[in-house]
Amino acid sequence: MLETLELPFVQRGLFELLILAVPAGLLGTWIVLRGLAFFSHAVGTAAFPGLVLADGLGFAAPLGAFAAAIAFTLGNAALGRGRDQGRDSIVALVLVACLAGGVLLASDVFGSGANVETLLFGSLLLIDGSDLVLAAVAAAATLAANVVVGRRWLAHGFDPGARPASRGEARLLDALLLGLIALATTAALTAVGALLVASLFVVPAATARLLTGRMRSWQLASVALVAVEGTLGLWLSVETDAPPGATIACVAGGLFALVALGRALARAPRRQASLAAAALALALLAAGCGAAGSDDDGRLEVVATTTQVGDWVREVGGGAVAVDQVLEPNTDPHEYEPRPSDVEAAAGADLVFASGDDLDSWIEEIVSDSGSDATVVDLGAGVPERLPGEDSGEEASRFDPHWWHDPRNAEAAVREIERRLAAADPARRAEFQRNADAYLGRLRRLDAGIAACIGAVPASERKLVTDHDAFGYFANRYGIEVVGAVIPSQTTQAQASAKDVSELIGLIEREGVKAVFPESSLSANVAEAISRQTGASADYELYGDTLGPADSDGATYLTMEAANAEAIVRGFTGGRRGCRLSP
Amino acid sequence: MLEPLQEPFMQRAIAEMTMLALAGAAVGCWVVLFELSYATESLAHSLFPGLVVAAIAGLPLLLGATPAVVLAALAIALASRVQGVSRDLAVAVVVTTMFGLGALLALSPDSPPGIESLLFGDILGPTDGDLIASAALLALLVVTLPLLHARLLATGFDRGAASALGLSPGRWEAALTVLLALAIVVAVQGLGNLLVVAVFVGPAAAARNLTSRMGPMIAVAAAIAVLAGLAGLYLSYYAGTAGGASVALAIVAAYLLSLPARHLRLPRAARAGATIG
Amino acid sequence: MPAQPLIEASGLALGYGTGPAAVTDVSFRLEVGQRLALLGPNGGGKTTVLRALLGELRPRAGTLRVAASCGSVPQTDRSRLDYPVSALEVAAMGTLSRLPWWRGPGREGREQALRALERVGLERLAGDTFGELSGGQRQRVLIARALVQDARVLLMDEPFSGLDHPASERLEALIETLAAEGHAIVVATHDLEQARRWDSVLCVNGRQIAVGPPLEVLDREVLEATYGGAIVEIPGTGSRAILPPHHHDH
Repeated sequence: MLETLELPFVQRGLFELLILAVPAGLLGTWIVLRGLAFFSHAVGTAAFPGLVLADGLGFAAPLGAFAAAIAFTLGNAALGRGRDQGRDSIVALVLVACLAGGVLLASDVFGSGANVETLLFGSLLLIDGSDLVLAAVAAAATLAANVVVGRRWLAHGFDPGARPASRGEARLLDALLLGLIALATTAALTAVGALLVASLFVVPAATARLLTGRMRSWQLASVALVAVEGTLGLWLSVETDAPPGATIACVAGGLFALVALGRALARAPRRQASLAAAALALALLAAGCGAAGSDDDGRLEVVATTTQVGDWVREVGGGAVAVDQVLEPNTDPHEYEPRPSDVEAAAGADLVFASGDDLDSWIEEIVSDSGSDATVVDLGAGVPERLPGEDSGEEASRFDPHWWHDPRNAEAAVREIERRLAAADPARRAEFQRNADAYLGRLRRLDAGIAACIGAVPASERKLVTDHDAFGYFANRYGIEVVGAVIPSQTTQAQASAKDVSELIGLIEREGVKAVFPESSLSANVAEAISRQTGASADYELYGDTLGPADSDGATYLTMEAANAEAIVRGFTGGRRGCRLSP
Repeated sequence: MLEPLQEPFMQRAIAEMTMLALAGAAVGCWVVLFELSYATESLAHSLFPGLVVAAIAGLPLLLGATPAVVLAALAIALASRVQGVSRDLAVAVVVTTMFGLGALLALSPDSPPGIESLLFGDILGPTDGDLIASAALLALLVVTLPLLHARLLATGFDRGAASALGLSPGRWEAALTVLLALAIVVAVQGLGNLLVVAVFVGPAAAARNLTSRMGPMIAVAAAIAVLAGLAGLYLSYYAGTAGGASVALAIVAAYLLSLPARHLRLPRAARAGATIG
Repeated sequence: MPAQPLIEASGLALGYGTGPAAVTDVSFRLEVGQRLALLGPNGGGKTTVLRALLGELRPRAGTLRVAASCGSVPQTDRSRLDYPVSALEVAAMGTLSRLPWWRGPGREGREQALRALERVGLERLAGDTFGELSGGQRQRVLIARALVQDARVLLMDEPFSGLDHPASERLEALIETLAAEGHAIVVATHDLEQARRWDSVLCVNGRQIAVGPPLEVLDREVLEATYGGAIVEIPGTGSRAILPPHHHDH
């Protein structure tokens, strides 16, 4: 368990959570007391478009988030002026507008630049210094306010009818509380995301409420619970390789259930509940102490980012190399969120192989976070065939990153892998060379076979319509024309618009294409709708960004390219002909 | 202007949207009257893990959504019975935890990517199953809402008097909640579980600003919902904006447009104490 | 001639949820044609008693026999002013007590509602939105609802609060008429003079202080126990009035 705590990114995450425990715990009690649970969840959610805006325009995320949070708070007050009830409809509508606005910004203004999932669910591993500073500011402000106006808040909360010094003062008190909630939730956004702030701000305070009713002890218990749940959640997420924000939410909810259950069953609720909690903590500690350490058996420790790269390294390295592959099959590299185990693996790596061209730029942070001094080898940098990339949007990169679909590039990459492995472990140089040679022989045979198969299709019928611009290199190599895409960018995050769909249908009908190729790792609903209208089949799947799972026909690089070729030719010929290659 | 109507995929999208709009508006009028917006939002959020499980297992989303709703309702009922925990708080705790659970499952490596369609909906690509489910929901509402109308109206107006009249308010409120849950489960396909609350709350709240009788309110809400849905789809068609998000924003825009009418309709005293709209 | 009482309560204890008892020791009888004033401070249990009589609240102890249907005339607090119903529709809600669960008031129900509104003098305002009526008019619409319901007992929660003098007089006259027709009426009120004019008073403040004919029951001791000592002599008239606690109602 203690090894986990030595990793720098874990330490940062821990600090962030411990600092956040102060505002989250304190404000949590006020949130519960004043019935502001919905509001605090809402203000976090409302920050989402601010985050998208910040990400798209390139300024600091907390600024965008805070601006959005304040705008939400003010807009909420303006629309709800003069009502005591019925705010919920308004808040619900405002939230929807914020979420929809954020999606629109991400999809259509910035070209799906923002990593929507990270913004919604947090990324404890990517916390940097500015986040810690913001958290500290929020903590200090909350503490100060609690000391100075805590008593007034309490009076106002218990009897809104009791008149404070003036109506203006009541408004100020409320504004201060709401403003602090906005500030603190903004600080928490990086850690747990826009949708899960309640797991820090509401659930622990609610749990603490079950244990004590007096304000002072309630606040202390609340802060303590946030700290404990945050730490436990973080540690669990590292051990089980799960996203931290969601793990914390589950821990918080589970603890609440435990305490509530304890209270319901036992005669001495407080003792029982803390006993149960202690028992649980002990159990987890025991489990943690049995955590596996890294094994060192004399093999080269290599980290590979993508499935293709991992496949090549395993082919060339054979038994001499232990490969830690970051991406799983069918995981989209563009929207990948690094896991704690990735950073752990990087920490012990001798070599790191990356695909390059912004496809897996997250590897840089992983490596630096892990404190490893392994070099990141950009395999894409040295390949012979380069096509230009998207010139706008977040995926704007100089070169199209899907270079591996051209076997000439694959060959260059394999050679580079061989070279680097040999440099790292010179004793095995001959073995690596043998493996590489054999592999490249198979690759060249495959290349020839695909070329012949596709060449047999008349040039005018070699039109490929797919919803992922991942096949530029393949098309370039084998003389195929790529026609349009449902989601016309090189990421897979945008929500489709009716215009895109309509235009693509028009294109298909004009070009007389017989098949549409949905990317196997994308939802095929929209592609299905298109094929329904045009008669073009949508049954064939292609492997664009990653290899397929172990039991599929795309499990290795060679079988993947063969499978793609088979599917494509079947599509061209309306199912009549395939390729029948055996790589 | 008629171009979108001639494309088959748009016809399907419009059909799905229209059915969801009608269903959402009708149930939504009661949601707004009984102040169930928060409950709607929470129900939708708590569906999330069910949707993810169904998506991972390759099952139709409805099969995942239904047990999730039941589980959430049970958990909320249990949590509310703990002393010191108000119903709102119970909802917040349960929903956050279930949403977190859903995120845990969705972001694990085993799950297929594309969870955006669960979050934000897939209005442009309704399957035959989705269309049938929406039609069935609409048929159910057409049959049951008129039957419930008078007693829901009386119960929402004056719960105490409803008891005196021999109605058991709890029963009618439960019936409404069940219908609401069913409607959410069906509508979540088209609009996603983050945006689905729009179709229930927006048109009804807008209609509330424009009318002062329940019957016309439902009719106006339905009309607004259908028009806003169409507007959103047209926007997506001509301006190339994301489908589900465009519909949601069109609904919110309709509500904002209805706000001035509210000041014209209500006398000041009633407006100050008003709860709905 | 001792007819069956419409309501008979004995040793009632009432409370909410698992909290302490809100009011205890409630025992009284309500006869046909009786006007009963329910007196007590705010928070003393008047509304709780009314809710129990309506059937909304189950007694924790004691017995309660309600032999007739009760019509509820609650305070129209601000939350219901925005409800999208007309006066006619509110009155028509009374028919629901008689109809099977799948049927609404219909044309017949609306006609009954219109006749009830005539009886309370509001037929001209039948089409108006309920929330747009004045306080006194709203009370009368709710009475109409109870009449449509064929309720023999009317339970009214502070119907006179906020009414000006003419509206107050009108309402009291209506109550007198209804009592003469055989209805029994329980009115929670703060007006001692009014209570004196009626048949019976019931004083509660966390528990039942006294019940019986007003002239017998309403002495200084009872009033002080009920209101906690805020009795004021009105100079020049020799009569007493209660100073209700200052209520924040905005």
